[in-house]
Amino acid sequence: MYDAKLDERVTTMDDIKISARGVQVWYGDTHAIKDVDVDIADRTVTAFIGPSGCGKSTFLRCLNRMNDTIDSARVEGTILLDDENIYDKRVDPVQLRAKVGMVFQKPNPFPKSIYDNVAYGPRIHGLARNKAELDDIVEKALRRAALWNEAKDRLQAPGTGLSGGQQQRLCIARAVATEPEVLLMDEPCSALDPIATAQVEELIDELRENFSVVIVTHSMQQAARVSQRTAFFHLGNLVEYDVTDRIFTNPSDPRTESYISGRIG
Amino acid sequence: MTDFTSAGGEAVELRRGQSLLTVDRKTRRRNAAEGRFKVYGLIAISIALVMLVILLVTIVVRGIPAFTQTFVSLDVPLRAEVLDPDGTGDPEVIRGVMTFGYAPLIEEALADAVAETGVQTEIDAAALVQMLSSGVAADIRDRVQENPELVGETVTIEVLASSRADGYFKGRVTRESLERDRNLSPAHLDVLDAMRDAGIVSIHFNWDFVWGADASESRPEEAGIGVAMIGSFFMMLVVLVLSLPIGVAASIYLEEFAPKNRFTDLIEVNISNLAAVPSIVFGILGLAAFIQFAGLPQSAPLVGGLVLTLMTLPTIIISTRASLKAVPPSIRDAALGVGASKMQSVFHHVLPLAMPGILTGTIIGLAQALGETAPLLLIGMVGFIASNRPDGLAEGLLSPNSAMPAQIYEWAKRADPAYYERAWGGIIVLLLFLLAMNLIAILLRRRFERRW
Ligand SMILES: Nc1ncnc2c1ncn2[C@@H]1O[C@H](COP(=O)(O)OP(=O)(O)OP(=O)(O)O)[C@@H](O)[C@H]1O
Ligand SMILES: [Mg+2]
Repeated sequence: MYDAKLDERVTTMDDIKISARGVQVWYGDTHAIKDVDVDIADRTVTAFIGPSGCGKSTFLRCLNRMNDTIDSARVEGTILLDDENIYDKRVDPVQLRAKVGMVFQKPNPFPKSIYDNVAYGPRIHGLARNKAELDDIVEKALRRAALWNEAKDRLQAPGTGLSGGQQQRLCIARAVATEPEVLLMDEPCSALDPIATAQVEELIDELRENFSVVIVTHSMQQAARVSQRTAFFHLGNLVEYDVTDRIFTNPSDPRTESYISGRIG
Repeated sequence: MTDFTSAGGEAVELRRGQSLLTVDRKTRRRNAAEGRFKVYGLIAISIALVMLVILLVTIVVRGIPAFTQTFVSLDVPLRAEVLDPDGTGDPEVIRGVMTFGYAPLIEEALADAVAETGVQTEIDAAALVQMLSSGVAADIRDRVQENPELVGETVTIEVLASSRADGYFKGRVTRESLERDRNLSPAHLDVLDAMRDAGIVSIHFNWDFVWGADASESRPEEAGIGVAMIGSFFMMLVVLVLSLPIGVAASIYLEEFAPKNRFTDLIEVNISNLAAVPSIVFGILGLAAFIQFAGLPQSAPLVGGLVLTLMTLPTIIISTRASLKAVPPSIRDAALGVGASKMQSVFHHVLPLAMPGILTGTIIGLAQALGETAPLLLIGMVGFIASNRPDGLAEGLLSPNSAMPAQIYEWAKRADPAYYERAWGGIIVLLLFLLAMNLIAILLRRRFERRW
């Protein structure tokens, strides 16, 4: 069913979804993100790589203002989503997060049934007019997250009773059920075995059809496999940002090269 | 640094040669320490258990007699010539008869009953009545006033024996102790024994102790804890209705919404301090604020409830905040991540998860409040509340009342040993209440706890 659109899946930078300029983040006195400029294309998978503690998660959390929940965090600069500054005073972060969904590093399903986990977002955003529509949304989301076959017979079973990998896919289903425009994923596969990882990677590739996906990963192979563009962070700086192939074959910065060849981080 | 590594190296060398089948000195010492610790723990637990058993056994042994009472079954002739001399049958006339008027009838009935047993005694009829409670005449009068048609008939009524007579059967009163007693003589006891053998005197469960009102100092046999129970119930109602919503709302605000700054830190410290304030301080505060300033009635469960609410709030706030804190932050992130508002994330996800803890804290707070006596002393909730069953909720909150612990304190204070026994009985009722509350807490926790 996606074949008709296949020819549209080109990675040009014409269609910019998110544009960040001069982003700085402080945690108290810690300068975690230093003057980062980045353009994230629509319908593209963008990977953030870099050594631990370099600020990948921090920057990702800037994109849906999850940093607002950390008291000590302070963000400067502008981040435009479809040409609107998401740090504008008039922007309600709750509304923003409905557009920019997030999957966390650690699977964090609600202690509710599988069905309720997925249906929660659509319910609070009023995406379904009746039970049948909600059922459809839940099924579609679970199918997209490659969880439908395992979960269809136990939709009322607790989400926390699933295996770690299944839980992560449930969280992905929960995130896509609200039909966000951008999906942020913070190391979504760090708790998964190779088979589940492959499933999630496949899923990410499919999600690219409809969403702009930003994924943080520690695995070079994963970044190379799923992403079209890659950003390399180091000590809070965005060192290099380019088409994935070029980052991995012909990086222009020596730091990038030492990182991907395993010499730093 | 090098020293350390070389020393470590030697130790490693030593260990390498060791067999696993022999326990080395260090391991043996560690195991011994662990064994000693376990023994200490067992000793501590045993001491606690022994104390608990002693406590429970004492309470039960001393308290159980309060639930039974000695009754005398009498055939009382309700003579019309005494109660209604003109034969009018008019309830007003019958109402006019004083308890004094019933006294001869009771004397007669008792004398007949004694004669029936065949026991020979020198005690005259007027002195025999000492075996009965002095409230008997009033009891019979109440009954006749309710059913005026009884006048002229002889009714069989079970009346209370006096507390001395009751004490004799329960072992509280002995012949020696009666030598100098003004009310009852050892000779009375022979009569009582005979009546007991004849089945006229019996000891059985006394519901009036559970549901009845307090009685005057000289009539312990009539006293019950029922009215104080109602007072406690109304106070708990006030405490629950006020402290649960206020406490939970305050904790949610402080924990989830309030900015973390000096001011909220100050509030937090003060709440912890409030929890440690002696309850009598809340009592005098309640006296000043609610009675002297706001003009609420004295001795009213509403005021008691308000004072206990002040006392319970810190407990509820502290435990609610602790259980909110225990909800993993990842759940909040998850809710915010799908676009829930702060409020939605709290009410849809955090609060249900914290509910078991909140309920436990609330019940603990309520249980504390239920057993509290000191603040009630200051707002006048101890004292002799003869009988005033409230007609409705509003009246129950405002009419003077006592509370179970205050009633127990009041009884323990009185001179008659019969009241001492009742104080122990009251403690059993109080403990049953606490037990019931804990049971409710456990049930609610089961109900709310998500085992997934
Ligand atoms: N809540 C916080 N409070 C204070 N400092 C923080 C907080 N979160 C992150 N930091 C700091 O900000 C810097 C960037 O952290 P961040 O979590 O973004 O790293 P990361 O690149 O995601 O690392 P990892 O790959 O290990 O997840 C680190 O130095 C970290 O110590
Ligand atoms: Mg991270």
